[in-house]
Amino acid sequence: MIKPVIYAVALRNLLGHLRRTMLTVGAIAVGLSALIFLWSFNDGLHRNMLQNFQDAIIGSIQIHHEGFFERPELSRHLRNPDKIITTVEQAGVKRWSRRLEAFALAASDETTEGVMLIGMEADREPVITDLGKRISIGRFLREDDEYACILGATTARNLKLGLGDPVVMIGYDRFGALVAEEFTLVGIITSGEMGLDRGMALTNIKSLQEMLDMPDGVTDIVLRTPEDRIQQLTDELIFALSDENVEVMPWSTMFPVMHEWIILHDGFLYLFLAVVLFIVLAGELNTMLLSMLERTREFGIFMAIGTERYEIGLMLVFEALFIGLAGTLLGIVFGTGIVLVTHSTGIDLSILLGSTSRFYVDSLVYPHLNLDHLGTTVGAILIASIIAGLYPAWKASRLQPVEAMRNV
Amino acid sequence: MIQPDNSSAIITVKKLHKCYWVGSMPFPALNGVNLSIDRGEFAVLAGRSGSGKSTLLNVIGALESADNGEVIVNGENILGMNHTERTLFRLHNIGFVFQSFNLIRVLSARENIAYVCQLQGMDKKESEGIADHWLNEVDMGHLGYRRPDQLSGGQQQRVAVARALATNPKIVLADEPTANLDTQTGQRLMCLLQQLNDKFGTTFLISSHDPDVKNAARRLIKLADGQVVRKWEKIPPAPPPISKACPIKNLPLAGRIRQFLRKKRKRPSKTGEKGPTPRRS
Repeated sequence: MIKPVIYAVALRNLLGHLRRTMLTVGAIAVGLSALIFLWSFNDGLHRNMLQNFQDAIIGSIQIHHEGFFERPELSRHLRNPDKIITTVEQAGVKRWSRRLEAFALAASDETTEGVMLIGMEADREPVITDLGKRISIGRFLREDDEYACILGATTARNLKLGLGDPVVMIGYDRFGALVAEEFTLVGIITSGEMGLDRGMALTNIKSLQEMLDMPDGVTDIVLRTPEDRIQQLTDELIFALSDENVEVMPWSTMFPVMHEWIILHDGFLYLFLAVVLFIVLAGELNTMLLSMLERTREFGIFMAIGTERYEIGLMLVFEALFIGLAGTLLGIVFGTGIVLVTHSTGIDLSILLGSTSRFYVDSLVYPHLNLDHLGTTVGAILIASIIAGLYPAWKASRLQPVEAMRNV
Repeated sequence: MIQPDNSSAIITVKKLHKCYWVGSMPFPALNGVNLSIDRGEFAVLAGRSGSGKSTLLNVIGALESADNGEVIVNGENILGMNHTERTLFRLHNIGFVFQSFNLIRVLSARENIAYVCQLQGMDKKESEGIADHWLNEVDMGHLGYRRPDQLSGGQQQRVAVARALATNPKIVLADEPTANLDTQTGQRLMCLLQQLNDKFGTTFLISSHDPDVKNAARRLIKLADGQVVRKWEKIPPAPPPISKACPIKNLPLAGRIRQFLRKKRKRPSKTGEKGPTPRRS
């Protein structure tokens, strides 16, 4: 059993060398608070990026007919969308919307341009995406619109179209027959994102169903759900819809590049964590070794008056642990303090980076404290602190009392 | 494991050899020491620097091992013990008083004493009670909350004595306890050790080349070149009445006479005659 006096003496040793202790504690606190801030900034950035990415058009999860994502053909429309929606609602999802997608050629009087024509439910779409907020000229779709359309700014400019101008959409129905309809341009999207500004046309789902002669035809059901529930919900829906010949795809499967980029970005931070840990380890090891060398004589006295070797070792490990704990607590206070302040004010990246919208990042980023990352960082710092105490502890416990007491 | 020994000898050293090595050069420190110390003795190991006093004390105190021989302390052969057994043996049997006091500088006087008690398994309250008791025994009760750097050398050595006795050891080993003290403080310390020896019957083995310490000895053992060359008992251990006021009163008769003569020699006479030259013991 460890005698309480060993803890007490370890603590007293630290207080007896307060300046050195505070310097080490301060170094750990600065390292940890920097890590907490960086993790939170990174998490805030990713949150913002994913939010914007999903808000833009893709949603959190999409349900298609099997193989539609690879080859988006109208023949691969959903056979039983109402049953799928019932299943989705039973899974607790309220934010869903139906879409019908088809390739088309948009033609103005002057020229033509290939677009992905997306029929949307004008009343439900705002709960899935924020396309309405990205309209720079005109307005978003309304439920009662007939053959109204919205184009990206680049497409509209290429077609030399303005608000109220007619635009003819030419496409193929599900049987391969050529179909065409005239739409009226009611809005132009300027997002700064390539995928939205060029090559996309939005219209009411009913208008597109009529044009393609697919009453109630649906190719996608798009869902929104919090990020931490996406995987679980995907698994639930795959299981529940196993008889429906559908594919349930989270955004990370549809656009793995974005997912991998986030993993890579996190990897950089883990690398940074390793560097900080190394610095903390080296700094604390240096302090502990210095302290051990300075107190060699004292350890000799401790041993001479009856302190066992393992108790000497424990004393140093406790000292390292106390330093680690104090540094960690201080680091948590400083780090979370900085995160809380910047979370309320935001960090304006436009000063540093100019336009960040191409990366789905707002110019104002709000750091977000992720408890998993906080736990990992704090745990790693504490473990590093204990490791820093082990070598000096081992060295001190091997001392011979008489030789140690001769040390000046 | 401590085995009670009913024989009168608490320390028995037989044919003890210890050699230090500097590179390939041997430096014999103890060269066949034979020695026996009885329970309750107040003995002094005398000898020049390098005679082996400290090494012998360290070996008896289980702080160092030896090359050959036998050291029985309180019925235990300490040379056969491993590091941990030696540590525990020291904790339960031996109190140390060192030349440079060797108090733990981050602990107060009271905590220094309570520390060893807590190592023995006492709780904080009990150990603090014992610390207070021993601080009072050495007249340091009022300075218990001071740290070693806030105490004079003599005060620190008193705390060290209290620490050595707080665990109720069988033996107190003191290595040059007065070397870092002025003459008067050294004498006071020796008086204190004698008082404690008389009062509690603890065995004291002190190494020193300080004449005052030798004067205070009830048994003097002289070492030279790692061997015991002379040993004699000076005064029977019957305790004289103790007075804290006059340190000289506490010294044995021979020492008191010697001290008196020394003082007389220092005081120049009116006629300019020199006082008698004191004889070396």
